[in-house]
Amino acid sequence: MTKRQGRLFFIICTLISATVFIGLTFDSHRRFPGLTNEDKLTPEIIRGKDVWHNNNCINCHTLLGEGGYYAPDLTKITQQRGTPYLTAFLKDPSQFYSEEKHRRLMPNPKLSDAEISEVIAFLDWVGHIDNQGWPPRPIIVSGTTIPGTDVGQPPTHASVSTDPVAQGEALFRSSPPACNACHSIASGANLAGPTLAGLATRAAAIIASPEYKGEAKTPTDYIRESITHPSAYLVPGAMYSANSQSFMPDNFAADLEPQQIDSLVAYLETLK
Amino acid sequence: MRYRSQSIAYWYFAVAMCLFGLQLVFGLLTASKYLGPDPLLNFLPFDKTKAIHTNLLIVWVLTGFMGATYYVVPEESRSEIYSVKLGYIQLIAWTLMGVTAVVGYMFGWTAGNKMLEQPFPLKIVVVIVMLMFLYNILMTIKRAGRWTVTEGVLVAGLAFAAILYLPALIEYENYTVSIFYRWWTIHLWVEGVWEMIQGGLLAYLLIRLSGADREVMEKWLYVIVGLVFMAGILGTAHHYYWVGVPHYWLPIGGFFSALEPVALLGMAMYAYFAMRRAGFSHPNSLAVHWTIGSTVFTVFGAGLLGFAHTWPSVNKWTHGTLITAMHGHGAFYGAYAMTVLAMISYTLPHLTSDRKVEGSSIGYWAFWMQVMGMFGMTLSFGTAGIGQVYLERILGLGYLDTQLKLQVHFLMLIATASVFATGAALFIWNFFRTAPRSVAAIDSSTSAPDLAPAGHANSAVSG
Ligand code: HEM
Ligand SMILES: [Fe+2]
Repeated sequence: MTKRQGRLFFIICTLISATVFIGLTFDSHRRFPGLTNEDKLTPEIIRGKDVWHNNNCINCHTLLGEGGYYAPDLTKITQQRGTPYLTAFLKDPSQFYSEEKHRRLMPNPKLSDAEISEVIAFLDWVGHIDNQGWPPRPIIVSGTTIPGTDVGQPPTHASVSTDPVAQGEALFRSSPPACNACHSIASGANLAGPTLAGLATRAAAIIASPEYKGEAKTPTDYIRESITHPSAYLVPGAMYSANSQSFMPDNFAADLEPQQIDSLVAYLETLK
Repeated sequence: MRYRSQSIAYWYFAVAMCLFGLQLVFGLLTASKYLGPDPLLNFLPFDKTKAIHTNLLIVWVLTGFMGATYYVVPEESRSEIYSVKLGYIQLIAWTLMGVTAVVGYMFGWTAGNKMLEQPFPLKIVVVIVMLMFLYNILMTIKRAGRWTVTEGVLVAGLAFAAILYLPALIEYENYTVSIFYRWWTIHLWVEGVWEMIQGGLLAYLLIRLSGADREVMEKWLYVIVGLVFMAGILGTAHHYYWVGVPHYWLPIGGFFSALEPVALLGMAMYAYFAMRRAGFSHPNSLAVHWTIGSTVFTVFGAGLLGFAHTWPSVNKWTHGTLITAMHGHGAFYGAYAMTVLAMISYTLPHLTSDRKVEGSSIGYWAFWMQVMGMFGMTLSFGTAGIGQVYLERILGLGYLDTQLKLQVHFLMLIATASVFATGAALFIWNFFRTAPRSVAAIDSSTSAPDLAPAGHANSAVSG
């Protein structure tokens, strides 16, 4: 081989790859609107994207798996946590997590109410991008979907918060009652108990259905009843109940303080 | 050093060394936040120190590339630099840009886009400085009327690097499109045109250090760069897997990025055969260490550790975990930091006074502590990443709970990073230990023993 042939090899390789690459780029542009639901890309969402960038969120979190690896992935976060939860969290993350427990904490981003709803809208839009089904199984912020692991540590700092939603979430993850040992809040991740993702929305449909024989008139009542009288309504599925008896323990009405049940209900209500 | 204007390179390297040191300060600070709790949470949280850490890296490596170019081009084109003054003005503007960016990040002035955090006005400064630089270099070559393939590849790499920065100036409303073009800059830099720069500098070093035949070296340089682009351009798709692009990017990314290590292996073989054929006779054996070391570490950090997670069915689980940090550190250090450090080690006896060509024992300590330290750091990130993938991604343990289980790896990270930082501190100290040569000394030193004979440019193309 001569130097000229070497040069020719370089030029040909580069030209072919670059041509194919540019061609596929054009084709991708044709497909982006469909894959990313560009028709739903409102000015609010675009402002939310600016909030995301201006606050440098990406240098701790990942979104679509890209970012800082120091904080949880947020691709599907709006499907795991409802807007009320996320709003309360963004107002003051220290109400929900503590440095003593997790050794890291999100600094308060000091966002305005408008910015909070914009960034949530942005994250919700990202969560609906068609990205070949990634992540292959839900990435959970905290807690576990593995029954029996020791992560349900005693409630800390966070449970001292006065916000009932924050208290409820801390309690949900604490042991006892260890709700999270059986229930995930990720959609599709059913463990020993059914996932509680979208619970509030589902509750409304359940009480309206003819199968429902319980006392509850509102989703809130239904959630409370599910905790205190687990067998009042049985979620279909042989792994959840037998002989009209739910597999969920029925000791919570006796063992939890009324105020604890209130906070659990307040938290679970946010799972829309 | 044969040309007075080559001494510009000293000041570029000096700035690069300062920024390198600062990068490590912020790196250690960032790593300590993995252990937590963080006393600086409300003033310098993780996102800021991390952005400063990565930005300083990019800025000092580019400073090193530019300094190296100011050193290489006069020798290759056999001419003084077109405008020494422009070279210094460019350096001052560039340094001010870098320092402003760092201070800005501390106070929240950021574009918040990973590795392209520079706010828009600073991006414009970057473009202007790059234009000044390219103008100065191209005018030098034009005035000299001759160029070699080695410097041609080097300068073309830098010109392409400037061009590929342009997509970063545009704002995209669609986040997926913004990610798509972010990788035109970042990926096509590190797995495309920067490898071209690396190849050019490697060819230069090998020709000088081994006295290998230029004709042969430049022929293979073309082949290597051809391989880089054949795999690297379409390999961009390994960043497109899960971000909302058409499905065909998956197999394309898997196939072409899996070929990328071939070009990197090619570079290592290139260095090995040059050395074997022509011998390790060069007195500056410290520079030989850095040169060969860089090609070996590139194969490990970029080739092997990149390959480890580049296939879509693997990347599906590792994407967005510390596995990426493992690879990012090994790759950037081996390919780019070490290339710049090799150029500095080679030129230092020429650029500064009172220095033995063969290097001092501090120099060797600096080399081995850095190499071992960085190796340990990639292992720490790697083991942490493997733990994370299994616990969090496969079993479904919460993110925060998983991170708590990784504490021991973070301790290991800090321990190995301290070894690395000590090696780097020795390198920096060694750099500043002796004064730069005065111009008078340069004039009387044109016959330094290790300077390559003039016959080297025999293949230079004129015009
Ligand atoms: C000198 C060459 C290289 C450098 C400097 C480099 C650097 C990096 C860096 C810094 C990242 C992280 C980007 C981010 O987190 O936003 C990255 C990601 C990645 N690199 Fe490389 N890389 C190099 C070569 C390679 C090669 C040769 C391969 C494949 C064989 C490869 C495969 C990957 C993959 C798959 C990712 C994405 C990981 C993910 O996000 O899932 N890299 N690289
Ligand atoms: Fe890449």
